[in-house]
Amino acid sequence: MRKLMKSIGAFAAFAVLAAGISQVAAHHSASMFDFSKTVTMRGSVVELRWVNPHVTLTVNGAVGEEPAAEWLMETTSPGNLVRVGGWRRDIVKPGDQVEIVFHPLREPDKKSGLMRQLKLLATGEVFAANIRDQERPGLE
Amino acid sequence: MFPAHLLFGELRVKSGPLCVALAGLLGSLLASSVVSAQAPGKSPTVINPPPTAQNWADLAKLPDWSGVWNPKITDQDAQVKTNPPPWNEAAAKKIQQMFAEEKAGRPRLIFSNCLPEAHPSWMLVTHNAMEILFTPGRVTMLGESDGNRIRRIYTDGRGHPEHPDPTFHGHSIGHWEGDTLVIDTVDILPQVPLAISEAAGLPNNGDMHVIERIHLADKDVLHDDLEIVAPKILTRPWKTTRIFFRQRARKFDIVEGVCTAGDLVERVNAEGDHVFVPVEKSEWSHTTAVPAK
Repeated sequence: MRKLMKSIGAFAAFAVLAAGISQVAAHHSASMFDFSKTVTMRGSVVELRWVNPHVTLTVNGAVGEEPAAEWLMETTSPGNLVRVGGWRRDIVKPGDQVEIVFHPLREPDKKSGLMRQLKLLATGEVFAANIRDQERPGLE
Repeated sequence: MFPAHLLFGELRVKSGPLCVALAGLLGSLLASSVVSAQAPGKSPTVINPPPTAQNWADLAKLPDWSGVWNPKITDQDAQVKTNPPPWNEAAAKKIQQMFAEEKAGRPRLIFSNCLPEAHPSWMLVTHNAMEILFTPGRVTMLGESDGNRIRRIYTDGRGHPEHPDPTFHGHSIGHWEGDTLVIDTVDILPQVPLAISEAAGLPNNGDMHVIERIHLADKDVLHDDLEIVAPKILTRPWKTTRIFFRQRARKFDIVEGVCTAGDLVERVNAEGDHVFVPVEKSEWSHTTAVPAK
């Protein structure tokens, strides 16, 4: 019984830790995004946040006929972006026009997504952002 | 020679007044011999001897593990299904629940609060690169994310400590068998998760023991063959091989990554100082709002 209580206690503590905190930096799964949907959106860069473990890009853009709004995109770490897509901290600056490809958050009312690709409209340069693309054949 | 206090203890158990007096006399004699044994002139045990020129030269005989090693994440993904750990009944139920939560879009945080992925989960599920350094008597693994992702593997012939002091990465001793580095790791904190993905893993709960054989499987492919003994959550030792690859022609160095910076954004405050201020995160730890500039 004591052993059972101990394990329940440990699980409860774990559950509280996992559920109740609004700011917990972590290496996390991306399953909050809907991988069955891929959306392309054009917009204007608000801010690139070049931080580990997950870079974010805020873009003011519109999907389809919806009015323009700020969308918050998350992607992998700076190191992985450098390796997978030749990213740099300074590839975009506020006001740059971009086209992004992303998987939206499962909650449709929240304007957020997992970014898979960024295209600079001024130059046509494309920057991949899928971490597993590092394993593409032919990359030496 | 037995330490004096052990002899005293033995005599006290059997003592009458005469024996106590005898013990005192013996004690004085023994104490003086202990003092003489510790007299100046006896050199202390050197734990970290200065390397010799030969020690440095010998490093050249080791295989070339230089460069930046990336984990093969697609293989990590595949092994979640193809090579699951032999979880015990209680652990298996919790893991199934984690899978269900992840599928529902509520992934459990296994690596919260920016704690290290730790050993062996770093080797098992990392999504970031690492580099490996050889110095005399040591192999050092340096992870890309977080300054606290580091493994020190002692190859100088020492054993594990007599008095365990558990840590996130445990105490690792290694030796070379040809071009294979064999590592034995114990003294890992019981809270350290044994993880098979970023959303599925359980605290090892103590007594975890990890044996690794790391070797080049191809020119630019490194294999870590792991045997993980975790008696509190597994029914038997679990074997898995994790794959790392390097891309010689691609000029990529390790990038500093500080996990807690993920909770923050760079701003300039009213005094003109460059500071970090918090962003908002969800309970699943993705960023939900960044404060305006």
